[in-house]
This record gives sequence, C-alpha cells and structure tokens, in this order.
Amino acid sequence: MDDRETLDRPLSAAYRPGVAYDEMYDKDAGVRAHYAALQSRISTLGAGELADRQRTLEQSFLLQGITFTVYGAETSTEQIIPTDLFPRIIPAAEWAKIEAGLAQRLQALNLFLADIYGDQIILKDGVVPRDLVLGAPAYRREMQGLYVPHKAYANVCGSDLIRNEAGEFVVLEDNLRVPSGVSYMLANRDAAKRTFPGTYRTSGVRSIERYPDMLLATLKSLAAEWRPNPQVVVLTPGVYNSAYYEHAYLARLMGAPLVEGRDLVVHDNLVYMRTTVGLKRVDVIYRRVDDDYIDHLTFRRDSALGAAGLFNAYRAGNVVIANAPGAGVADDKAVYAYVPEIIRYYLDQEPILSNVETYLCREPKQLGYVLDNLDKLVVKAVGASGGYGMLVGPHASAEERSDFAQQLKADPSNYIAQPTIQLSTAPCLVDGAIEPRHVDLRPFILCGDKIVVTPGALTRVALKRGSLVVNSSQGGGSKDTWVLTGENETTAAGDLPA
Amino acid sequence: MMLARVADSLYWMGRYIERAEHVSRLSDVMLTASLDATGDAPRAARTALGAPEDIDEGKTAVDVALGLILDREDPGSVIVSVARARENARQVRDQITSETWERLNLLFLRITSPDAKRQFDQRAVTFLHEVISDLHLFKGAVDSTMSHGEGWRFLMLGIYLERAQLIARLLDASFGEAAQGSPLSDHLSQMGLLRMACALEPYLRVYTADIQPRLIQEFLLFNEDFPRSIRFSTARIEEHLRALAGHGNVQASGAPERLAGRLSSRLRFADLEETATSGAGGLLATVSQDCGRIHEAIYGAFVAYPLEQHLPT
Repeated sequence: MDDRETLDRPLSAAYRPGVAYDEMYDKDAGVRAHYAALQSRISTLGAGELADRQRTLEQSFLLQGITFTVYGAETSTEQIIPTDLFPRIIPAAEWAKIEAGLAQRLQALNLFLADIYGDQIILKDGVVPRDLVLGAPAYRREMQGLYVPHKAYANVCGSDLIRNEAGEFVVLEDNLRVPSGVSYMLANRDAAKRTFPGTYRTSGVRSIERYPDMLLATLKSLAAEWRPNPQVVVLTPGVYNSAYYEHAYLARLMGAPLVEGRDLVVHDNLVYMRTTVGLKRVDVIYRRVDDDYIDHLTFRRDSALGAAGLFNAYRAGNVVIANAPGAGVADDKAVYAYVPEIIRYYLDQEPILSNVETYLCREPKQLGYVLDNLDKLVVKAVGASGGYGMLVGPHASAEERSDFAQQLKADPSNYIAQPTIQLSTAPCLVDGAIEPRHVDLRPFILCGDKIVVTPGALTRVALKRGSLVVNSSQGGGSKDTWVLTGENETTAAGDLPA
Repeated sequence: MMLARVADSLYWMGRYIERAEHVSRLSDVMLTASLDATGDAPRAARTALGAPEDIDEGKTAVDVALGLILDREDPGSVIVSVARARENARQVRDQITSETWERLNLLFLRITSPDAKRQFDQRAVTFLHEVISDLHLFKGAVDSTMSHGEGWRFLMLGIYLERAQLIARLLDASFGEAAQGSPLSDHLSQMGLLRMACALEPYLRVYTADIQPRLIQEFLLFNEDFPRSIRFSTARIEEHLRALAGHGNVQASGAPERLAGRLSSRLRFADLEETATSGAGGLLATVSQDCGRIHEAIYGAFVAYPLEQHLPT
C-alpha cells in the first residue's frame, strides 16, 4: 500500500503488532482504511511535535483537575490519569453491531432483574439456577416486590468489551452498579479535538457531547409519572473518592446539585436536601455510592456515606435511586455465563454480541476441565472485582497454580474460569515511539423510558508492554474513541472482520 | 437556593483566597522594606501577621517570608490558604465555572510544585508577584464568568469579611494598641503600610504625597471608593446580605443583614474627629467584633440552622 511509503519511519519502525488483532494495521501490515486519515496525519508529525502535543494534553488534564492524589510521606502530589493522544477508531458498520448488541443485552438484563425481584419465573423454569442468583453477593432481598419505574433497574450501564484474536468484539463484563469512566470519555474527546482538529473534522466522528443531557433525561424519565419537574441530584461519597472528579463533572454538566449523604435528610419517608433556604424535596438520586453504603439503617451499619432512612423512602415510592439497589446481581460473574440464555429466554433472539467462553466451577464437569487446564485459563472469584482473587494461569508459577487448585476444590461455586484472551492492540505514544498496546472498550448505555447507546466509549489502555490489564489501579490509561458516521468512510467490506 | 454545605464552601473559599493575597502582599512589602536599614514597616507587618516573636529569634526577613508563604505546618501560610481554598473549590466543583477552577488550580499547582522553594529562593519578590497576580486573575474569572447570584454572593461575603478584618488588624498593628506604644512614624514605613494595603497609588491620588498617619487611617477606614477600605468592605457585606436575605429563611436571615447594616452605617457616618479623642483603636475593635458576629449570624441563618424549624408539619 502507498500508505506505508509515507510512514514516519523512525517513529513507526518500532510498531510490531503481535499475535493480537491490531486496530490500525491488518495482518499484512497495511493500514486499515478507517485509520488511513489519522495515520497519514501522524506520519507528517515528527517525534518532537507528537511529544509536544502529548505534553499539552497532559497539562490540560492537570489544569482541569482530572487527577488522583498520591499521598506521600510528607507531601501529596496530583497525578493525571494517563492518557494517550491517538484516538482509537471504530467504523460505522462495526459500531452498528455493537450498538444493537448492547441495547439487546441491557434490555434482557433489565427484564431479568424485574423477574428475579418479581415472580422469579426464570428460576422456576430452571433456566438459571436458583441458588446461583439468590446466593449472589449482590442480590438484595430488600428489593423483592418493589415498584421500579419502567422496570429499569440498571439505568447507567458501562459494559466492558474486548476484541479477540479473530477481530470479533465480545462482552467481558456487564457493569450495572456504579460504572465510572464517562467523564474521561468526554475529556478525552475534548482533548482529541484539540490534538487532531483537521483529522477529526474530515473523519466524520459521531458526537458524544450530549451524554450529560441524555443522562438527565433518563433520570427525569424515572420520576416523570408522579413528579412533573423532578429534582435530580448526584450523590457522591465525597471529595476523597477516586471518581469524585467525575461526580462533580456530571453534576455540573447536568445542572444538578452534587450532594453528599450529610446533605440529605429523610423525614416521613420523604427525602430532602439542606439548602440555604431550608429543606428542598429530592425526587431522583443518581447515586455514585455502592448499595452497601446508601442507607445504614437498611444495609451496612458502619457507613456514613448515605442517608438514614433513604431505603424506606425508596420503598415507599417517594424517591428514585438510580441504579436501583440490587441491580448488581445481573452483572455477577457467575450469572454472566447465563446471559446468552437470558437473552434467548426473554427476547426470543440470538445474542448479537457473544460472551467470552466461561466455565462455572460449580458444575463438577467444568471444574474438572478447569483443574486440568489451569495453566491456560484465567480464574476469577465470583464476588470479587478489580483484579482481586484472580489467577492468571499462563503467568502463574506451578506452586501458585496448585495452591489455587486447593482453594478451587474447597469452594468451587465461588469461581469461574475463562480462556486467556489476547486483547486487540492499538497504537500509543510510549516514550517517544509509537507502539502497540492492548486495549478494551467501555461504552455507556442509558436506560430509562428507552435505551440509548452513546456513540463512543472509553478505550482503556494497558500501558505496560505486553500487559493485558487495563485497570487504572494497575497502570492503565485511556484514549479517545471515534465512532465514525460512515459517510466519509472508504472502508471496503473486506476490511471488516468476518 | 443552593446546598447549605455549598454556600459554606464558597464562603470559605473567598476567605482563604483573600487571606492568601493579603499575606503574600505583606510578605512582599516586608521583603522589599527590609532592604532599607531603617523603618518599622517589617515590624508592623509581623505584628499584623501575628508573628512578632520571630524578631527575637533573629530570623531574617527572607526566612520569615519563606515560612509565611511555603510552610505547610503554619495554618496562616499562603500555601495552606491556597490549598484550603482549592479543597473548598473541589467540593463545589459543580458550582463554579471551569475558568474559575482552572485559575485556582493553576496557582495551587504552582505553589505546591516541588520546584516552588527553589523559585522562591532565587527570586522571592518575583515569585510573590506571580502569586498575587494569579489571585487577581482568579478574582477576575470569578467576576467575569460566574453568575452573580447566590453562590457568587457567598464567595464575595467571604472575601469582604476577611478583608475588613485583615485591614483592621493591619491598622491596629501600625497605629493601635497592637503597636505597643510605638506607632509607625517614619515616612518610609508609612509608605510600606500603604503598599501592604495595596493603597499607595490610590492614596496619592487623593491626598498627594503628603503621607500622614491620620490621613492613612482616614483613607483605609472611611474611603468610599477604595476597594480595600473598611467602609467599602462593610458596604459590600451589607449589600450581599441584603440580596441574600431576599431568598433566605425569613426569620433568621434578617440577623446578619441587620448586623452588617449597623456596622456599615457606623463607618459611613463616623469620622476621625470622633475617633480622634479615643483613638481609632475602639473603632477597629468594633469592626473586628462585628465581623465575628456577622460570621456567626450567617451560619445561623444559612448553613447550620436547626432542622426543626424547617420540617413540614
């Protein structure tokens, strides 16, 4: 291809995609058509110019306060969430499938939640084992039989998708509790517009800037039936929470007050906030506080992050909590294995997006397979998240594997296993060179009176060479994600994965 | 209508910002004045900052200034004030504009950077000028990008209450009881004092280069137009409280407005002839006390009011 002739050689010489699917280059090292514009722009910029732009980008994040605090012995310093200047690009046709798949999935999961917190027909029909659902750590008995507007339990969903070696997007995790990252998606977009304005303009990128008002509309739709102009608030655990920037950001862009538990007062099952002019009624709480902490009278007693009596007000139907308490049971790692069945059961459709193959250790046969293949599998504890209680077979020592095998045998129902997947790679600027790094994809889906899939996502990046871990707590960063409108694309059909 | 906690944070943000600016300016003037062998301005500055004992420890002006600016252990230092202002701003990040936030954050990053001490050591006065000018830019962003509504008024209340108290303390340290019988008498020190109040040029325009303690006090106490005079500050406090009382809790919100109105009238109609007999000290003490009362009344009316009054019955 001619494109390769214009490559900035010193910069891209180091670019050697491995066995993983690469977002920019195809197997023959040709530039994929939807990356052509960006690639040719990058090739006109030297290493110095790119480093300058990266610095400007980081400076603007620092200035905006998109940071977390690192507490040292004497002083604390502010560090930005690492961010990469090259956008990750997804062509229209691929996005159409992701969009339809995500909407289908959230629709089915909300029907599932309404069912298990209602008549539990799916359990009676034996499609999902009863003990697996009712014994899941995120199941909330208190939610049984409660009215939930539009039967929308999970209102904000941030699914984790990965692209496997075959180039197919699959769902790794559904995140139905308090998913975060949407502010980074929006901040990355702001930055990308300044970093590559020309390429952005000519590429035909779908806009994500309406996320805050779509979120507000979703939240309002939850109270519309009984309060004509509902008061929406964002509930944050406070300024020391690592996602505080995001809570403040969303509150500011929605024009909703950012409240803490101590600002709320519950009286006669009505929720109020303390204002300068007295108490003001609250109708919808977009909570960024975990289930366990929203009301210490109902859930954890040692928590001061929520408001006493909040759950009773919710039960009485006087306030909406989004996402609904107990929604997390549908993103439980063991329930995950049943999602394709759940989709077929409620919607009578085949799943558009596949799951990652998952072995449930509670099934003796599958446990046998897992124990025989520990060196090839990733084993995860069902209740844990964020990389805890996990064994990455190929990277573990024989001793670690045999220790883990003992734990597995002792409590098999607490574990699931999945094959180790090489996430796709995308070009990143690392120490002045362009190198492939593994990425995932976290799109955000809203569900109130209707389902809205935001045409964009947070692309998380494992910044360490070869690492497959994209979590920000473990050295992960992020980059902007461009979903193309398709109007300016020259994508040949053959360019898309089968 | 806004969250009581938010009003509280905006108010304190204003106070800390004003304190940071005042201490920076005093340090600046003290450093410059210490170049001249004579003059009592550094002593007055230290007294006004509540640190006269440093003189006995044989610290140089640079040592004292370094502590006032960058000492994280000193609750009155500029670095602590800026950090607290930013902490308050972070808690109400959704209520202030990005322009306002970024100005404050920039200053915070500048002053907390590991390089700050080296910059101060090399060019202390330039460093201080940059800090002061960052604070002015912050106030400019507040004025020109935030809505001049309730939140803005709480912020401005913080600024003017702090300012009235700081200027009162500065005058007291220069001419009042805190001067311990040795008021500022030489020309150089008196010019230094005017600089500490950022008042030299505006003063000269009114009184020409005829610098006298009586005129300085008249200017800083009673001038109607100068933004750092106590009269100007108390007039603004009254104005903001009157506007806030409009939406406040009717029973209680009148209290801070009444207190502020009384103080403001007092400054409007008093003059030095009246205070000449007893000295300005009495009036300065009143200003200080009344500002404290207004502060408490603001809390009672808007922030820490008893819930029982507001629960629906």
